[in-house]
Amino acid sequence: MIDFQAFTLDNGLEVLVHEDEGTEMAVFNMLYKVGSKNETPDKTGLAHYFEHLMFGGSKNVSDFDRVVEKAGGECNAFTNTDITNYYIQLPAINLETAFWVESDRMLALNLKDSTIETQREVVIEEFKQRYLNQPYGDIMHHVRDLAFTTHPYRWPTIGKEIAHIENFNSQDIREFFHSYYGPNNAILVVAGKVKTAEIEKLASKWFGDIPARPIPTPFATVEPPQLVKRSKKIYADVPSDALYKVFHIPGRLMPGYLECDLITDLLSFGRSAPLEQKLVKGTDVFATCQGYVMGNVDPNLLVISAKMERGREAEEAEELLNKLLLDFKCQEVPQHAIEKVKHQAEAMKAYESLHLLNRAMKLAYFAQLGNPNYYWEESDKKLGISRDAIQTSANRYLDENNASTVYYKAASALDKTSTNQYQA
Amino acid sequence: MLDRSIGPELKVPDPISLKAPIKRTLKTGVPLYFIPTPGIKAIKCEVIMPLHNSSYVAEDALVPFFTLNMLLEGIKGMNSSELDDFFDYYASEVEVHVGHDRQGLSLLSTKKRFDNVLPVFRALFTEATLPPKELKKRKSQKKLGIALQREQASGRANQLIRQALFGENHPFGYTATEAHVDGISADKIRAYYQDHFRILPEIFVTGDLEEEELQTLEKTFEDLPFRDNYQRAGEINPFPGKRMIEPRPQAMQESMRLGVLALPKSHPDYFPLWVFNTTYGGYFGSRIIKNIREDKGYTYGIYSFLSSISKNDYWMVMADVKKGHAEEVIAECYKELKILANTPLYGEELETLRNYMTGSFLSEFSSAFDLMGKFKRVHHQGLDFDFYNKQLQYIKTFDPEEVSTVGGKYLQENRIKEVIVGS
Repeated sequence: MIDFQAFTLDNGLEVLVHEDEGTEMAVFNMLYKVGSKNETPDKTGLAHYFEHLMFGGSKNVSDFDRVVEKAGGECNAFTNTDITNYYIQLPAINLETAFWVESDRMLALNLKDSTIETQREVVIEEFKQRYLNQPYGDIMHHVRDLAFTTHPYRWPTIGKEIAHIENFNSQDIREFFHSYYGPNNAILVVAGKVKTAEIEKLASKWFGDIPARPIPTPFATVEPPQLVKRSKKIYADVPSDALYKVFHIPGRLMPGYLECDLITDLLSFGRSAPLEQKLVKGTDVFATCQGYVMGNVDPNLLVISAKMERGREAEEAEELLNKLLLDFKCQEVPQHAIEKVKHQAEAMKAYESLHLLNRAMKLAYFAQLGNPNYYWEESDKKLGISRDAIQTSANRYLDENNASTVYYKAASALDKTSTNQYQA
Repeated sequence: MLDRSIGPELKVPDPISLKAPIKRTLKTGVPLYFIPTPGIKAIKCEVIMPLHNSSYVAEDALVPFFTLNMLLEGIKGMNSSELDDFFDYYASEVEVHVGHDRQGLSLLSTKKRFDNVLPVFRALFTEATLPPKELKKRKSQKKLGIALQREQASGRANQLIRQALFGENHPFGYTATEAHVDGISADKIRAYYQDHFRILPEIFVTGDLEEEELQTLEKTFEDLPFRDNYQRAGEINPFPGKRMIEPRPQAMQESMRLGVLALPKSHPDYFPLWVFNTTYGGYFGSRIIKNIREDKGYTYGIYSFLSSISKNDYWMVMADVKKGHAEEVIAECYKELKILANTPLYGEELETLRNYMTGSFLSEFSSAFDLMGKFKRVHHQGLDFDFYNKQLQYIKTFDPEEVSTVGGKYLQENRIKEVIVGS
């Protein structure tokens, strides 16, 4: 359990407090329920770009980072498809400074032209550094684009292309802020050497008078069911082929999701898992192979990602993978494997609660899903799934017609095959 | 009505008392350092040894890497997949550590499973079978990793700056090649495991362990045979030129590095140099972040840091920057060095820096489970935990003039080596 107290301000701001006497530090974690899924296909990357602009100063706090640092703190943020999460770690005695700066930017963010332009450059460099100027860096761009036809999970949080970042104007940005950055669209977690009574006072003092805003209703885009397998070949200057095979699965809170999560645990968790033992150690085709679920709020993907040994083809790797998945679907899961996953889940809880920041973020994330306790409940629920249910789900979701495969080919292979291999 | 124009009053945190690890000694003389973490269910046990460098030839430089990574591929009575299954079943993880000057294994487990896995962890030190089939796989994976790192501009830039600082024929400046991987044989690994793996071990333990459990742990390692003679790496032989360049017309960014040899932590000038570095490029409010990222937008991130390999410490600046701007960024970095060396910190920046460093210090020491890492860092340079008490004291009382003078003395433009990959 992560202990917490919760209350909600009149303006809709949800506040959770996690007291930990064992530290002199505090974590102030503000989560906004907005991510790249709130973007439109021709304007992608805005949620993340906007995250950078949140550090550009507000009416009474001209330099956000500087004020936090002067209070002995550090701050940062991340954006994903569903949420944008800002956090400040600082000595608990200066916690009120975090309330001051965070409430000021929620109320009156500056959005100066100079900040907008400089951060545009910074984000474009981030795009290049992490996704384009990096071997295999853009694979997920291709994978998402292939697997989704309609839903905003079709593009990564950084954005579909640099041009989108280049084209945002000041109106796009202002509208985004006013649409999503209201107290009624946020969850605050305060953790560390703090007292709930004190946090109640501070929260209403600094956030109480910030008016709620009309939050746009989500687009409710539903990805149409996939009926046949999709595949795509990409050629790039990389040392060896990579293979990404993905399957549509239910959203985080939907029936079937936890079965898929458990399936990837069984396939891939640890060195003894079948993907590692049978495909990596057991063949000279795979250099690496992992499976995981994305775990987003809306229906998302189960991903098998692999790199090939040099000179081996992604296509032959897929055949081996398919055979392994077929075996998994046909054979009953051994009791030993189930026990192993149980032990691992138990240990993960011990490892994950070592750090205060991690606990605060987990609380915020699960509160956003609707129930902070779900962090612990989810794991129990997952471990209660029967072996029959695992097999049924494996057969349902690990289906060829539900799959999209990206063959990311080492460019040298292109010289050998002169035909145009691009298919979609 | 709330007046938002004035922020809450800032307070200075009380000094924290840092508890040094408890030192125990095994019958064989092996030291065991222990940090108790009551209530925490995770346990970490590390066995760290010096890296033997005597017969250094580039062709054999990867022998320690492969030897240690092969330990998990089988011990007497358990083959590779049985061993994998064993540790996974008990949700425990063995990590291999092969640095430039140290080698070892660490075990992360839980209080509940620790007793189950400890004997097998211990067996890795003496009972490894080092099977050739698994070696073949490891070799081909490593070759791919080498190719990938060379492809990555930032990975390549890191290799080149180490070459520039230590010399490409010195172990610290060494860059692995695929040909070196080909030269690795099962015989070489077996010989290394026999003769050069178990040297003067030290044990570091963090967790909620009772006296009895500690005694079991001690007993487990009491029959570990080890040697006490090993050879440190020889003299370094830095690149005589100023700059290493690797052009890549198709690259979208340039990876730049600046580097210079600096001071060990035991040197009286270390603290001022450390403060100088933090001001210059060691935190988000630093001079170069402000200049290169926040004012010019040339990079997603630019940092400087002080690091050490064995007794050789070095200072480095690293960034991946907008294509065509590496030259300008390097010039700006030198400009900022001169400004900071010539004009001591004052006013708000000084206050911010002191507060930030104090808070950051508190933060770094706030998780008991991470303290051993801090301890090892100073211990391996022959210092003890008191280093940190002095460091905290220095943050609160340093003289900005001293910081500027010392920074200017060690970080001189004419001594700094440069690397650009991707021009």
